[in-house]
Amino acid sequence: MTTILDVRGLTLTLPDGTELLHGISLHVDAGETVGLVGESGSGKSLTARTALGLWPEGAACGGSVTVDGREVIGSSETGILAIRRTAAAMIFQDPRAGINPMRTIGDHLTETLRLVEHRSAQEARARALELLAAVQLPDPEAHLTQFPHEFSGGMLQRVMIAGALTSSPRLLVCDEPTTALDVTTQAEIIQVLASQREARGMGMLFITHDLNLAASICDRVCVMQGGEVVEQGDARQVFFSPVQAYTQRLVAATPTVDVATDPTPSPPVGERAGVGRDETQSQARPRATAPTLALDVSGVCKTYLRRGKPPVQAVRDATLRIPRGGALGVVGESGSGKSTLARVVVGLEQADAGTIRIAGAESSRAPRGRTRRLARAKSVQMVFQDPYLSLDPRIPAGRAVEDVLHLHMSLSRADARRRVLELLDAVGLGERHAQARPKTLSGGQRQRVAIARAIAIEPEVLVMDEATSALDVSVQAQVLDLVASIRAERGLTVLFISHDLGVVRRVCDETVVMRRGEIVEHGPTEQLLRDPQHAYTQLLLDSVPRTA
Amino acid sequence: MIPTTALRVLRAPRIPRATATLWISVVVLLMFVIAAAGAPLLAPYSPDAVDFAAINAGPSPAHWLGTDNLGRDLLSRTMWGGRTALIGPLAVVIGSTVVGMLLGLAAGWRGGWVDSVLARLFDVLFAFPSLLIAIMAVALFGKGLVAPVIAMCIAYAPYVARLTRALVQAERTRPYVSAYRVQGFGGPWIALHRVMPNITPVVGAQSALNFGYVLAELAGLSFLGLGVQPPTPDWGAMINEAQAGIVSGAFLPAIVPAVAVVLAVVAVNIVGEEMSDRIGGEVPA
Repeated sequence: MTTILDVRGLTLTLPDGTELLHGISLHVDAGETVGLVGESGSGKSLTARTALGLWPEGAACGGSVTVDGREVIGSSETGILAIRRTAAAMIFQDPRAGINPMRTIGDHLTETLRLVEHRSAQEARARALELLAAVQLPDPEAHLTQFPHEFSGGMLQRVMIAGALTSSPRLLVCDEPTTALDVTTQAEIIQVLASQREARGMGMLFITHDLNLAASICDRVCVMQGGEVVEQGDARQVFFSPVQAYTQRLVAATPTVDVATDPTPSPPVGERAGVGRDETQSQARPRATAPTLALDVSGVCKTYLRRGKPPVQAVRDATLRIPRGGALGVVGESGSGKSTLARVVVGLEQADAGTIRIAGAESSRAPRGRTRRLARAKSVQMVFQDPYLSLDPRIPAGRAVEDVLHLHMSLSRADARRRVLELLDAVGLGERHAQARPKTLSGGQRQRVAIARAIAIEPEVLVMDEATSALDVSVQAQVLDLVASIRAERGLTVLFISHDLGVVRRVCDETVVMRRGEIVEHGPTEQLLRDPQHAYTQLLLDSVPRTA
Repeated sequence: MIPTTALRVLRAPRIPRATATLWISVVVLLMFVIAAAGAPLLAPYSPDAVDFAAINAGPSPAHWLGTDNLGRDLLSRTMWGGRTALIGPLAVVIGSTVVGMLLGLAAGWRGGWVDSVLARLFDVLFAFPSLLIAIMAVALFGKGLVAPVIAMCIAYAPYVARLTRALVQAERTRPYVSAYRVQGFGGPWIALHRVMPNITPVVGAQSALNFGYVLAELAGLSFLGLGVQPPTPDWGAMINEAQAGIVSGAFLPAIVPAVAVVLAVVAVNIVGEEMSDRIGGEVPA
């Protein structure tokens, strides 16, 4: 079999002397998919980009990278251009960032053909249609005159794939091509990529942080850490019997939805959440137990009115209940209304209809006035998705926690300080982090600060909105463990919102599935995974990549 | 959605490299400030001291930059003149920044009718050139520095306000603001204590650029005889007084203050540009 990409002893040094890659060696054969797996900062993107000569300005590369027999390192600008034009192509994570929003899809696809291959307009058009059909877009003819904004993320990523295929590359580099997409869309894109690779006999270098995904589509996998390849080999073997300690940790930290492979149920903490089981429970228990519900949401609706467009029903008649100390997961794809639900619960948005009770107290309306605001804040707190954005860039970690304490309690400065250190200690941070600005903290540390800030005033309910999605798997595992231990210690009630069934499973005893603003299924998490009732839940589960 | 790709690393590290022009500008500005502030101690002569032995004289060991038509030392007058020439723009920059930021914050944070009303108000103010407003103020309240400075504070406030409004609107939707709300902090508190400090560097850099414009405009006003009144030394007024001399071939009395104005404005603009470039690059992402 011919080797398409051959990387030998690749090193990359920045102008200031830091070596980012320390002698990478890997190869991709024709018709083969090689996964490049690692956490952020491991150098996987950097390695893949060298194949197309896309290294940071002024960086010095050593070793050898050949694409289809041609050397990239030390090659002239024209030499690299020739490789990009004929031998290798790349797809990036965010399709919207890689396409000119002012030009039509047709322009995007025919441009290279006409300028590089000097085809006539008709030929180029015919080829573009062929490619759009190849990536399974429904209406190629019409798509040619459409603009990028008319396309969804998944459709646009297909266009980008078609664009990458125009030059009939021998090597296709995919840099997290599905990370920004929903799991069902991801499954479709992966299927398109796989069929194209097979039809064209391309070599594919597939970068991902998702071990499950790599294991499901790759023939071989290279695991990278800190600019080195720590382990490589057959995908299944790396996944099921990793040799290196780092890989073992990574595999262990990766959440899975496979009920069979991971029989250990999540530790039951507190009471089980009771969703939609009122038929059985309300009879079994007298009404007097109602106040033990930490969160009682019933019939909540939220509609967004848009100027000149039909209104969007973000949440429709949502009903859920969490007993004190319970944990309920809300799963859904983007646009399912799960985040809106969270914002309504914490009072950032006002529900149009329905009632919300937190620890028995009526909290349906968004709070107005100081007393109500403080009362609401004391009853429910929230941890946001992106810790890079949810912390004020100017305020040191300790100060952020201290501010909340001062707002809600009258504490002396010394007492507040002591309390801050206790809280930071509880989330695994130390005194030196208290002085640190968010900029100097890692993603995991930031999210810990956000959690410390949220539990500082001991709320009844903690809402976590995609709180671990922006984190690496190993960091995600740490944060999830932290949440579990806080729940165990403080009996905190958690409403956990996520797109990832595997993550929800680690935290929540009960789960609801949302789709287009509606709750379509609810039940105990394990049961939901083992025996999904609703067609959409089944689709969601089937779309999750699994080791073949 | 999930930023795992190492794009951050790929951007070659930007080493903050101050260019030679920037340093020269900073030095020039410092010299002006020291000369103006220290004029009573540093200036060789009193600005009003008349030397009848040297009228419209060229540079000499006694008068380094020569003298004007009354035999006054140009170096001393330029140093003293810097005091009025620099204090006016400083007052305008501070005044317009404070007023503009508060109005911009109100418009950007509250939105709705507050925003609409303020936006129209700014539009109206934009229609009048600042110099025109300043001249109107002089016509209404008489000559001097106070009326034009207040007028220009009003004229420049919309520029600051519009920038502030745009920044606040962007900042308002950031999750950290939502986080403060969830914690129970009130809107005005978040706006004044948290959002405003975060946008101040950007606004400040922009205001620094305004300094140059205002300096040139106030000098122009004094040149027209509407601003600082003789015999108080001021760069614009000095050029005005030197007009007659130009015909008879005495260029120095006009050129010295003119060069001072040009140097100061250029230096301020270079420093201001560089400041806004640097800060613009590290606006909280």
